[in-house]
Amino acid sequence: MTATDRTTTAGEPILRLEDLGVTFSSETGDVPAVRGVSLHVRPGETLALVGESGSGKSTVALASIGLLPDNARATGRALLGSTDVVGAAERDLASLRGRTVSMVFQEPATALDPLTRIGAQIAEVVRNHRRIAAKEADALAVDLLRRVGIPDPERRARAFPFELSGGQRQRVVIAMAIANDPGLLIADEPTTALDVTVQAEILDLLRRLAVESGTGVLLVTHNMGVVADFADRVAVMLQGRIVETGPVEDVLLRPEHEYTKRLLAAVPRLAVAPAAVPAAAKDGAAAGSQDRPEAGSQDGPRTGTEAGAESATPAPEVPLPRYAARARKANTDTAQGSAAGHEPVVDLRDVTVVYGRRIGAVRALDGVSLNVRPGETVGLVGESGSGKSTAARVALGLIRPTSGTVTLFGSDLRRTRARARRELRSGIGVVLQDPVASLDARMTVLECIAEPLRVHRRGMSAKERQEQVGALLERVRLPRSFAQRAPRELSGGQRQRVSLARALALEPKLLVADEPTSALDVSVQEAVLEVITELQDELGFACLFVSHDLAVVQHFAERVVVMRSGRIEEQGGTMDTLLHPGTDYTRRLLAAVPVPDPVLQRRRRAARLAATAGAAAGGAGATA
Amino acid sequence: MSTFLYLTRRVLQAAAVILIVTVATFCLLHALPGGPARGILGPQATAQQIAQFNHEQSLDQSLPVQYFAYLGRLLHGDLGTSYTLNEPVAQLIQERLPKTLVLTVLSAGVGLLLAIPLGMWQAVRRNKPVDYVITTLSFVAYSTPVYFLGLMLVLVFSHILPWFPAQAPQGDTLAQVFADPAGLVLPVAAGAASVVAVFSRYMRGATLENLSEDYVRTARAGGSRRGAILRRHVFRNSLTPVVAMLGYYVPVLFGGALVVEQLFNYPGMGLLFWTAAQSSDYPVLLGCVLVISVATVVGTLAADVVQRFIDPRVKEGRA
Repeated sequence: MTATDRTTTAGEPILRLEDLGVTFSSETGDVPAVRGVSLHVRPGETLALVGESGSGKSTVALASIGLLPDNARATGRALLGSTDVVGAAERDLASLRGRTVSMVFQEPATALDPLTRIGAQIAEVVRNHRRIAAKEADALAVDLLRRVGIPDPERRARAFPFELSGGQRQRVVIAMAIANDPGLLIADEPTTALDVTVQAEILDLLRRLAVESGTGVLLVTHNMGVVADFADRVAVMLQGRIVETGPVEDVLLRPEHEYTKRLLAAVPRLAVAPAAVPAAAKDGAAAGSQDRPEAGSQDGPRTGTEAGAESATPAPEVPLPRYAARARKANTDTAQGSAAGHEPVVDLRDVTVVYGRRIGAVRALDGVSLNVRPGETVGLVGESGSGKSTAARVALGLIRPTSGTVTLFGSDLRRTRARARRELRSGIGVVLQDPVASLDARMTVLECIAEPLRVHRRGMSAKERQEQVGALLERVRLPRSFAQRAPRELSGGQRQRVSLARALALEPKLLVADEPTSALDVSVQEAVLEVITELQDELGFACLFVSHDLAVVQHFAERVVVMRSGRIEEQGGTMDTLLHPGTDYTRRLLAAVPVPDPVLQRRRRAARLAATAGAAAGGAGATA
Repeated sequence: MSTFLYLTRRVLQAAAVILIVTVATFCLLHALPGGPARGILGPQATAQQIAQFNHEQSLDQSLPVQYFAYLGRLLHGDLGTSYTLNEPVAQLIQERLPKTLVLTVLSAGVGLLLAIPLGMWQAVRRNKPVDYVITTLSFVAYSTPVYFLGLMLVLVFSHILPWFPAQAPQGDTLAQVFADPAGLVLPVAAGAASVVAVFSRYMRGATLENLSEDYVRTARAGGSRRGAILRRHVFRNSLTPVVAMLGYYVPVLFGGALVVEQLFNYPGMGLLFWTAAQSSDYPVLLGCVLVISVATVVGTLAADVVQRFIDPRVKEGRA
């Protein structure tokens, strides 16, 4: 079924929200989270609810299944079939949940009871709604595990959640959700915690299940690529209201509301060359088009990304964010550009890190060689567990390599004494992923930023320090008055800027940024990356940028290092490597990234599926 | 790690801990001023008598020599002879320990049977009247000295309301003790009170934490009702930290028994320990400390093993 077919599918909506409002009562008074939301989902169609954090999209999802927290009050109507969830008794809701409506959550790591075998957890959902024997329910659970693509389901049904990978756990949660063939499936950021390749598999699975059984899907996500990949219709939320709604092609390609336009403009877009599509693409696209009559043809190639993919221009014209200017420059300079002559600020040579001994030993890094030259930005990409953060920590001198050498600012770290090493380290600034955990909650912003100065600039007076902190705050585009605030009073983006100010306090020659923006909304991400870029131009520090987001790295970094299970898969100039990857792994990684263009994404997906089908036929089964 | 390997390692660790405890107590006891001779021979004893006593008991030898001699006898099951009661310590413990075990196991068992459901009930009814009432009672029970609590119990349930005897069963054998169950009620109640207070708090906290876990939401989204979620998921998940605490609670239980046995005139380990402490009866004191430390180590070990059984992640070293 195609998107256009599905939207025209007649049938009573399975979910209809009418003027839904949700208010949270807190100690400081009532906070309206959702106001006047009306929408519907028909059987077999997918409605994506998008928006940034705090927009109320998850609250709408929870209200639709009656799982709002105790301090929330809902008004209006939320009709599931004929039952109004708003004001329904818990007993009635329980009989709807898992049968008429079910839900898949964001965090597969914690969504399952750690002490109950997964088969039993699925069987429980079955038996909540069907009067059948325990044995029968167990058998059904095994069937469901098979349906969601868990290999060897009879044996795996006896596994505990901790014995499964994140992707497999999410499959188990999905198996629970579809156990009783619900009419509506609510998926709240179902792939946000997963790697891109796993994300692609989970989205494929959800799509297949929805199509097979004509289930309506309410998909809550912040990822426009996922929307383009999956949704038929889109509703954009801003501050608790829906500001724009329509078919996915219209909203993503021809947004009308100002906010939607801004949101889409902030999304980093992965530039893809025709060569990025795997070899099997041609047959794949042909095969795909049989069950998917080209819905995109009526839209024609519109965006720059699309044009880049269509015509074989070597450097595709993508709408580039402002922080991307340098990347383009670097691309024209070529990878072996001007920076090549300088001595690297950090140089890892054949570094191996082994944890544990003998049988239990894990090679976190295996023969990794990489360097960062003065002033340049190197992107370190890879999936979780690929060793990219470990490599960054080795560069910081926080992990001592089992073998190999680390040279920091020209000194071999192993040959330096502790004091000299500390002095060397003062030349590195660090920004970490979690904006909440990386600042001490008991310190003021002033104390947070001043701490490195207190440690490394002993002679500095309190007054000078204060002045310096003020200047640093201005550098990261925050008002000086923030110095007296506590970190908890700041937003995520502001906190990351405070982290950045702290990292830059000692005027480092190298900034190590480990996923600095992955916890932030796209618009905030854009602002933070812009600040880093501008300061880099101003101060000339080099940057080792660890990220799982290929699109961001593509724009932000001049060179890229692709890692996989502790080894370097390939490295080179960013545009060169990501447009014309040299290895299958990088190609697969790139192919799995959903682009926020439904027409292009449909084609990419078909190509990817054809490629994996080919690979599977070749004997390499893909599992999450 | 295989269970066998794990147990071997833990038992060796336990033996080491017990060895360290004997060294520590041995040193501490001998550091006490006066020594046992004065206590046993009375204030009239001459210096010569004391010297002779010390020589007979090898108390005039150096501490390490004394310790290794003690350890050597210990390995043969010889815990020495009581100075005051003139009986082998091993025999004294053999007579008294079962009675104390009855008291502590019953106190802990009854206490937990009450504490676990109470804690869960409080968590479910969080910040409702029931929660406040139980919380207040817990704090009262926890902060009341066992001695005072025991006296109040005797006053109310033995004197004012003549329901239970004020004395614990006086028989020497376990059969005689169990023949008088009414006599056990007040001592066990006095011992269980703090268990209820402490463990209902733990259980309340653990349950609250688990109720806010994502898996509870997943179960609700699958249509499970609250009672079923509590029974099937929250209960077991909340129990693991409580079981772990129980191991560490063993010495507290023995400490409580010390007072309860005094109060209800129940000749168990507690009473033995008490009199030995007053008369500096070194062999008995050492024997008692040894028994309590073994009980503690065994209790902790048992708690860890039970936890391994409840939570598969512990076995894999993931939690």
